Amino acid sequence: MDRMNRQPLPGNEADKLESLWAKYREACPDPESSANFMPLLWQKIEARRVETTSVFRHMAQAWAVAALALTLIIAVLIPRLQKEPIYSANTYVEVLDEAHANDAVDLLAGGEVE
Amino acid sequence: MLVDFALIERARSGDDSAFSQVVQAYKKRILGTIARLIGRPEDVEDVGQEVFLRLYYSLEQLRTAEVFEPWLYRLTVNAAYDYLRRQRRRRESRMSDLSEQQVMMADAAAGGKLSEEEQRRGKVREHVQALLEKVSEEDRILLTLKEVEGLSLKELEKIYGVNENALKVRLFRARQRVLKAHELQAEQL
Repeated sequence: MDRMNRQPLPGNEADKLESLWAKYREACPDPESSANFMPLLWQKIEARRVETTSVFRHMAQAWAVAALALTLIIAVLIPRLQKEPIYSANTYVEVLDEAHANDAVDLLAGGEVE
Repeated sequence: MLVDFALIERARSGDDSAFSQVVQAYKKRILGTIARLIGRPEDVEDVGQEVFLRLYYSLEQLRTAEVFEPWLYRLTVNAAYDYLRRQRRRRESRMSDLSEQQVMMADAAAGGKLSEEEQRRGKVREHVQALLEKVSEEDRILLTLKEVEGLSLKELEKIYGVNENALKVRLFRARQRVLKAHELQAEQL
């Protein structure tokens, strides 16, 4: 790998720093891994897999509980709603007549005062 | 590339034995890079396992096998960065923070067990690590990759996902900060 693309820095300190990096590289050789490196890595991979699976399992359980609760609520609410009919059995004209039943009386009453 | 593309493709498609071969091939290089990035030999394997663990679970996101090495380096940089941040937080809450290696070195030096060469190397490591502790984790990692690992700007571009000019600016500033820390350290000695 190249070490050519370096920005120049002024002064002797920059040169000292350059040589310090080289000495550091030499003082830190690539370490050998221990015999446990691979078994521990696979243990960690497996642990993460179990953890992820259990998270999904918890999520699935939470969804199942929520769905059950919703079903129960709907099951309780629907019969109640059915007891109180939303729609009237009367025709539109009949409903209007009921709503404005007092209008004619008021008119008559107003006329009698005259 | 230390392995052929076909092996990476096999590992990517879920072949565990291919993945093991990839780890075996890159293990030494990655552990070496981590050792120089974090400066604490006793934690190198832990961070290395974290890198390969992240690799295992992110391999399917790799677009092509050609970009495998920069991808692996990016994971290494991220894991080292996370480790250094954790260490900094931990260090802030503790008075002394000698690594196991520093303690062993001090013990061995006191007992006269270390060779002169090993003592010289130990001093270089201590000096550079003390210097790198004085700059941010970002500067430390970028400088180590460029100056110690010897990565080219092209390779760094792929790892950091920024263009060459932006990298040159970052490198220049990081070098200036380290140089300043170096001068301060020299004054204190």
